[in-house]
Amino acid sequence: MATQPSRKCKKGEAIALPCMALLLGFMVWSAPVLAQASTDTSAPPIDSGLDFDSVKPVPLFTTGMGFIVPFEGGQPHLGPLISPVILAPLGSKWLIESRDTFESDLATPPGSNAFRGTVEKEVDYLQLDYIASPYATITVGRFLTPFGIYNERLYPIWIRDLQSDPLILPLGVGPSNAGTGAMVRGGFSLNPKVTLNYATYFSTLVTNETLSSARMAGMRAGIFLPGPRLEIGGSYQRLLQDDRSNSFGFHFAWQLPPVPLDIRAEYARTSQGSGYWLESAYRLTQVPVHRDFMSRIQLVGRMQEYYTGTDLDQAILPLNTKMFEFGLNYYLHDDLRFVSSFGRQFAQDDNENVWTIGLTYRFVLPMGHGEMH
Amino acid sequence: MRAHLLVGSLVIAFLASVSLLAAQQKSESPKPETMALASNVASNTRTDSATNSKAVTSAKSTDALAKTSATVKNEPMYDRIEGEKRFRANCGRCHQAPHKFPPREAATIVRHMRVRATITDEDMRLILKYMTQ
Repeated sequence: MATQPSRKCKKGEAIALPCMALLLGFMVWSAPVLAQASTDTSAPPIDSGLDFDSVKPVPLFTTGMGFIVPFEGGQPHLGPLISPVILAPLGSKWLIESRDTFESDLATPPGSNAFRGTVEKEVDYLQLDYIASPYATITVGRFLTPFGIYNERLYPIWIRDLQSDPLILPLGVGPSNAGTGAMVRGGFSLNPKVTLNYATYFSTLVTNETLSSARMAGMRAGIFLPGPRLEIGGSYQRLLQDDRSNSFGFHFAWQLPPVPLDIRAEYARTSQGSGYWLESAYRLTQVPVHRDFMSRIQLVGRMQEYYTGTDLDQAILPLNTKMFEFGLNYYLHDDLRFVSSFGRQFAQDDNENVWTIGLTYRFVLPMGHGEMH
Repeated sequence: MRAHLLVGSLVIAFLASVSLLAAQQKSESPKPETMALASNVASNTRTDSATNSKAVTSAKSTDALAKTSATVKNEPMYDRIEGEKRFRANCGRCHQAPHKFPPREAATIVRHMRVRATITDEDMRLILKYMTQ
């Protein structure tokens, strides 16, 4: 998905540029159409006296897509991505959910002007959830590894504020960012001002390329204060194969209630290395001039560092690396936005600029009419 | 390894301290805005003034406020205000401006987010109402 500065393009099957243009055209065309559909006034009227406990949820099909063009060290890449999500509720306590990703990183091979690359397919998650109690949900299947907050909450391109992955994203999440096994998770209020959330999991080894995962166990816990909208937490993971190493992580998220400013940070320390990222995003909704235009703009900044571990063979980057990025996003619609960023990566004898421009888009469609109990 | 254990212990201690601090705050008197909301809820009811007075003075927390609003039969208003608060606090951490969805779609979305974002059962119900009203 998103631009990883160290990523190299795989040569192989060529993908025609007209397909990308078609995707882009579809995104722009369908935004207002589907947005209208999702808020269709012909939908059943919402009765304020509706008994919400009797509402039967309807299966949903939602897709996020994007077309990202990063320039890494002056070399342009084309990054089309489609990520369909299916949510299928069963009864009042079950939910089947899955997300797949089809993406490509097209680049021009030496001596050629044509963009080439392969389509990479991956099952991000395919899981069955059972809401066992108000305090616990049991999940089995393939799930996103709950280590830190980025992988689970901020990874989709329609959510992330900067399209490049944090340098430390691969730390602690296992191969392909997912685990295969079982997980127990939940959230509950300790009191009206404090909410505790937790996730504990066990994953087994899967070597299939599309569904790969490592044998590992771990947990994440966090405390959320709804008043100041502040969350802090920590993650721990034990790898149950290879070097059987431990990984630690900490996360922090703060939404200042008086201003539309998000501040997020993560730190991770593993045998593959360690590092942190700190990101802030400010939506200009409080600027008093040209309010309609300014409120659609979001300014983003991120600072991050990665340090190689003691075992350089396992390092996710060959050198200690620093990177800063500034981004500007413009929301054409709630689900359609133009994204752009500029960053500079610092590593020994390997400094480079990273530019990114693109569009991201998401729509939601019900798969049926649903019914009342 | 020793450093990891030390850091882990520090984090657990910090989390425990925050919980303790927040638990202590629970016993404090309500903030003016909470009282104002409680008063607002109470003033829009059709119940007698004695019930209102009793309800307002007992509103020392959000839970108490919930019970108050239920008592005074102005639950939709309380739910709307509280639902918006919960939406901004929970969903707003990752998502932009709130959407409105038909109830059956919203019910699926909040169930998904309950798992993904580990929101509480109570938050899920209030957010569901807010997203559909």
